[in-house]
Amino acid sequence: MDRNQIKKWFKEPAKMANKYSLHAIYFCTGCGIIEVPPVITARWDAERFGVIPVATPRQANLFLITGYVSVKTLRAIIRTYEQMYEPKYTVGFGSCPINGGMYWDSYNTIKHLDKYIPIDGWIAGCMPRPEAIFIAVTHLWTLIDKGMANAYIKYRENYEFYRRNQEMALGKLEWPPLYPIQSDVRTVENG
Amino acid sequence: MDEHIKEQLESTFKSVVVTIAEDTRIVVNVKKDHVLAVLRFLKDRKFEHLALISCVDWIEEKEFELVYILTDYMQNGEKDTGRESLHLIVKTRIPRQKPLFETVMGVFSNAEPYEREIHELFGIKFEGHPRLIPLFLEREYEIPPFRKDFDTRKYVEETFGNIPSVENNK
Repeated sequence: MDRNQIKKWFKEPAKMANKYSLHAIYFCTGCGIIEVPPVITARWDAERFGVIPVATPRQANLFLITGYVSVKTLRAIIRTYEQMYEPKYTVGFGSCPINGGMYWDSYNTIKHLDKYIPIDGWIAGCMPRPEAIFIAVTHLWTLIDKGMANAYIKYRENYEFYRRNQEMALGKLEWPPLYPIQSDVRTVENG
Repeated sequence: MDEHIKEQLESTFKSVVVTIAEDTRIVVNVKKDHVLAVLRFLKDRKFEHLALISCVDWIEEKEFELVYILTDYMQNGEKDTGRESLHLIVKTRIPRQKPLFETVMGVFSNAEPYEREIHELFGIKFEGHPRLIPLFLEREYEIPPFRKDFDTRKYVEETFGNIPSVENNK
């Protein structure tokens, strides 16, 4: 451990603990997932950075979206994201989640993922190298240090907006809202 | 073997046109009324594996082309003849205005997902298919998305272009 960081550990232990134990959810979208097995296994060994894959979203706080997002996958992504504990961080991997990439004019692919769930950072490239994941992780550390990795707070604040966007893409959602929606509260008060 | 199958097909069915495209690849053009009979005939001659059903939209000729690919690798494996397995490509055309065809599930029961896929992406209805429900898609499309007259760019701009980004939520 870096001796210079001891002060930080005493000052904000929870933040430091979050930072060095990122539990990434296994979620295989698109072709980018092919980069993840070498990253988590002996060749690149993500555990050096405190990143470890876990089985379910309820144990995870890092969400890597690794490739194009079809309409059907978006439904699963939203459900997964909403099940994760806070603080949670999302990273879009590859050019497809950013703006659709080579699937831009496809009839069934979501173009801008950050319209539906908040994203902390992007890794550009098609495909990015495994090293790019570690660069992203170290950038994420910096963001957490500075208190800028607050996409989950943004989601809470703009939930109504995100939910509306999700409904525009997917039609009616079959699960209840994660946070209370203002307009719903108002109708209850009036009724 | 290739010539043998060709002779058999041409002598049994009058309207069939058989061309040998490559060593192990035979193209059989069939009128749409005879497809089931030809497939049944070929199945009896050890072409037991339906590998794929595909569809082509010939928009200028106003026709859909259905492509059935059969192989005989089962028989090949048993006898170990040392040659590659034979691919038989059965092609038929149906009119674009009336996209209706009969299911081949009575001959090859593994045609079920292929026919559902073609029904979803090209809008061809297969009579006699037990469950023509969506396979991949969630959204509704006015024109099935794999037809040539489906304007993808216009569709994308209309559907996803109107969704605002979060920065506008101020």
